Amino acid sequence: MPRIKAIARKEMIHLLRDRRTLVLIALMPFMQLITYGYAINTDVKHLPTAVYDQDRTSMSRRLTEAFEQSAYFDITDRPASFEAVRQAIDRGKVKAGLIIPPGFMRDLLAGRQAELQLIIDGTDSNPANTAMNTSQAIVTQYMLRQGLLRTDGEPPVVFKPRLWYNPDLKSPFFMVPGLVGLLLQLLIPMITATAIVREKERGNIEQLLVTPVKPWEIILGKLIPYVGVGLLIALTIIASANLLFAVPIRGNPLTLFVLTMLFLTVCLGFGLYASTVAENQQQASQIIMFFAAPSILLSGFIFPRESMPWPIYGIGYFIPLTYYLKIVRGIILKGLGYDDLWGEILPLVAICALVLGLSIKRFHKRLE
Amino acid sequence: MSVPAIEVRELTRRFGRQTAVDRVSFRLDYGEIFGFLGPNGAGKSTTIRMLCGILAPSSGSATVAGHDVGKDPERIKLSIGYVSQKFSLYSDLTVQENLEFYGSVYLLEGERLRGRIEQVYALTGLGEYRTRLAGVLSGGWKQRLALANAILHEPRVLFLDEPTAGVDPLSRRALWELFYKLSASGVALLVTTHYMEEAERCNQLAFISGGRILRMGSPQELKSRLAGRLLEVECRPLLKASAAFERMVGLTGLTAYGTTLHLNVQDEREARTRIAEIARSEGIELTGVRTIEPSLEDVFAVIENEEEARGPHAAD
Repeated sequence: MPRIKAIARKEMIHLLRDRRTLVLIALMPFMQLITYGYAINTDVKHLPTAVYDQDRTSMSRRLTEAFEQSAYFDITDRPASFEAVRQAIDRGKVKAGLIIPPGFMRDLLAGRQAELQLIIDGTDSNPANTAMNTSQAIVTQYMLRQGLLRTDGEPPVVFKPRLWYNPDLKSPFFMVPGLVGLLLQLLIPMITATAIVREKERGNIEQLLVTPVKPWEIILGKLIPYVGVGLLIALTIIASANLLFAVPIRGNPLTLFVLTMLFLTVCLGFGLYASTVAENQQQASQIIMFFAAPSILLSGFIFPRESMPWPIYGIGYFIPLTYYLKIVRGIILKGLGYDDLWGEILPLVAICALVLGLSIKRFHKRLE
Repeated sequence: MSVPAIEVRELTRRFGRQTAVDRVSFRLDYGEIFGFLGPNGAGKSTTIRMLCGILAPSSGSATVAGHDVGKDPERIKLSIGYVSQKFSLYSDLTVQENLEFYGSVYLLEGERLRGRIEQVYALTGLGEYRTRLAGVLSGGWKQRLALANAILHEPRVLFLDEPTAGVDPLSRRALWELFYKLSASGVALLVTTHYMEEAERCNQLAFISGGRILRMGSPQELKSRLAGRLLEVECRPLLKASAAFERMVGLTGLTAYGTTLHLNVQDEREARTRIAEIARSEGIELTGVRTIEPSLEDVFAVIENEEEARGPHAAD
């Protein structure tokens, strides 16, 4: 135990004095958050919108104006039928269609409920999300301004925004939790592998071997600081997901922690393996990048796996990130627990055992 | 007789069909410095790695500090120190941090660790550099730090694999002063080196080539084998003379030293006559022929020549 502590402590000093790696660890989560969080999340204004006004009264015109004045919707089209609205959305001419029913003003003035429909193209999740939330606010405001209040507390306008094509709306909600997996996959094998290879390059390992330190003590001591780094990254991302992007954490944080440790162990094992194959730090980082690129593309981090052709879809089953993404999104967004996630946990445990077993065996062999 | 620090019997290590170390035997007592000499790839490092307990011998046996290398390598690691040919400390750690790390590896802690670090500071003079990063030290100070690391846990046997390679002469002398101090305190030292003046400082020397020990003995013993058989020949032109004398009957070795040639001969008297004859017939200007005391360098030149003459089996 004291030997492991000594090695871990020494490794910590290496890490704290290695400015390049520190900058990488600090900046990468930040940059990824901006790219996948803010850059895609920026409010989308001036959404081209079609209005099919079947009422043609002063009140329906005022409603249209309210939409236009919000600056989120630009009325670019006034089709004459519901079918024409559908076509405009299908062809991408407009992203939203507002449908005002006939008798809109008459019903409202008579104290009856009037139905209002908004169709939003959900393919691009971010503008769709914005349109959805903004339209709600616009209609509420409109009702207040028009002094439309009902004695029974029911809303005078029954507003029904509908999403077409992407009903469960993949959003930054969806991207940001996945970042935990992406960053662990990108950073942890890289810094682990370079740290071990550096020790080998400098001949330090040789010196350690003639001391009473055992190989497993070297492995454990060297990996401990990077477990810390990995947890720090995970915590940063989850905290910013929650605080900056208001992503609610619906599942059990402890479950998330345990399963994140599992994925982190896979990443560490992967770094250890790369370090036994590579002769120098440059080779190590090339090996890591070689596997990182397909992981990001094929795991479903950016593109949904369901839309991939089957051979490529199949490759995803061999990528640990595939399983972890389902786990982290499932726990954070859907509140899933162990019972729902066995299909992901078991393959991940298998991969973990395989990677760790192989790399420890190779590490021992390289020492002899 | 006292218990030896190192006792090696017929130690052999094969890598596939290659025999890296071939039936090596020797003995080293506490308080002695044993020198390993020989070309690169001769098997010096392989022997040391076996004695350190990190490489299992193919056959033969060895005990280090009373422990068998085959059966008890972990006990050996506790009782030895090792300084390698290349600087293998942590350059981004300070001198003090390096020492603390190696101390903890040997399970030294707290008061005891601090005490030992102060002691090695006093011995090596490293104290004033304690907050300096190891990477910015000069070659000589780096090796002093490597030595300091290796002796923190007070090992009774020290392995020094070319500890002075690439170190300036002044620091080299300082390092040897340290080796003497350690041997005087009863530590056994096994040193490999390429420097003849360092070999001269050892109590025992072994010349190793092709995995085998070719000659062994104290520097004095090794030199006395050549006594009366070494001639220094002063002549001109040197190149032509060297080519001519090379074919001389009864010659066992020839080396050029600046403006003179050193000739190892079987019989001094005969050689003097032959030298004079060859000089006359080849038109070489002879200005002096003297019998000289051999240096270790001459000894090894002769050993190498004899091995070459013996044929290729010596090199594989």
